[in-house]
Amino acid sequence: MNRSNLLYNVIAIVILALVLFMFWNFAASTSYVEGKITSGGVVIDTLSTIYGYLYGMIPICCVLILFSLAVAFYLEEWLSHRSWQYRIIERIIAIFACIPSLVYGLFCVYFIVVKSQQLSYLTLTIAVFFLVVPVTIQTTQKVIQGVDISVREAAYALGANRMRVIRDHVIPNTIPTILAGIFTAISRVLAIAALFIVICGWKITESNSIHSFDIPNNVIVLLSSALLFSIISCLFEKKKSF
Amino acid sequence: METNNFSIETENLSLWYGDFQALMDVSVKIPDGKITGLIGPSGCGKTTLLRCFNRVNERYGNVTTKGEIKILGKNIYDSDVSLLELRKTVGMVFQRPNPLPISVYDNILFGLRIHSQFRSLTRTQSDEIVEEALTSVFLWDDLKDKLKTRATSLQLEQQQKLCIARLLPLKPKIILMDEPCSALDAKGTLAVEELMSVLAGTYTFLIVTHNMAQARRISDECIYMFLGELIEHRETQALFETPEHPKTADYVQMRYG
Repeated sequence: MNRSNLLYNVIAIVILALVLFMFWNFAASTSYVEGKITSGGVVIDTLSTIYGYLYGMIPICCVLILFSLAVAFYLEEWLSHRSWQYRIIERIIAIFACIPSLVYGLFCVYFIVVKSQQLSYLTLTIAVFFLVVPVTIQTTQKVIQGVDISVREAAYALGANRMRVIRDHVIPNTIPTILAGIFTAISRVLAIAALFIVICGWKITESNSIHSFDIPNNVIVLLSSALLFSIISCLFEKKKSF
Repeated sequence: METNNFSIETENLSLWYGDFQALMDVSVKIPDGKITGLIGPSGCGKTTLLRCFNRVNERYGNVTTKGEIKILGKNIYDSDVSLLELRKTVGMVFQRPNPLPISVYDNILFGLRIHSQFRSLTRTQSDEIVEEALTSVFLWDDLKDKLKTRATSLQLEQQQKLCIARLLPLKPKIILMDEPCSALDAKGTLAVEELMSVLAGTYTFLIVTHNMAQARRISDECIYMFLGELIEHRETQALFETPEHPKTADYVQMRYG
């Protein structure tokens, strides 16, 4: 990612922050929503519960990231690019990766807040799965494809096997860009979490007639984190070594 | 692997990429310790033939091979042949210098580390091997203070010499070269050719080249290929001066190609 892409990322996050801020102002001035967010039958009364879920999602996120890396390496290193399995999987991933994260966020809000009115790790995992897995697989695939074919040929011609080539050449040469992809995925999750907190927090506030939650600040913290991850992602991508 | 007078022998070797037949019944014998040139127009199967000898072709899938290839008397498609051992015996230098993106020192030892047990090499042994390999390709004086430098940052000529040098610790019997000088300038080409002349005798060289003058200068024997077929295989001087086949005559007298 070059400097202009970094700029676009910053602009995108700032715009998203403004949209959420405006949405919050709009939401705060209306009172048509009724309802309760529950967790295991208990009414959620503070945003800390949502944060609790977010922290709980960290190990799940790690597992999903490892799963994505494994899938990407399997697709690029083991599966023949001519095989129908490769073509189908690649297209499915491409479709899910190109859907804006906001769409996933809105679906997530719709099903969790409006429909089920319940938070659960299953629903959050499904949401995070679609936010993290396709984009991480796609980024990792691209960077693996970017490894110079001559490097592979040289290693194979010297007698190296596939695992050795991956361990000694593919991973060391791609790790900065793979990390960049992972940080991009995390920033997507955080940005959507911000949206989620705005809406959930607003509903909690409305349903309990309490206006003491500092939702804008929470959103700012999450969006700042998303921006930070995005910047780290750009820095890692610039550091790519081949 | 036992040795005889020929390092490489093929018998009715045919190869297909999917439906496309790239090699047609190629039977050839490459003599021990000599430099053999492979010439022919683009797409005639020179590189494909070369890549058959260390089975690098198989990596690309969609490849079907028929016939027999014997390296040092042993059919390389026999079930008891180790691919690892084959690639140790048959080294390869590619068209574009392709040092691994690691240090010069580690490049030289990469192959050896694959074929040795984990940490079986002492530091002193490693240093000696690196020095010997770089000295053999006349790079030691230039690189002895740059052993930790990333190999990809060297000049192209040095990179290509390094690619040859990293084969030497494995003590291969055969070195395949796929247009090794095509990315080099005249000085670099001369340096690699001189190196080949010095190493010939110890190693069997099979070199693919588009440069007729180079084939004439450095090879002892020459093979002319055309559209996947082996047309003529003779001593270089005879092939260039008195070609037996009209197609060879057309090519070496530069009427096409």
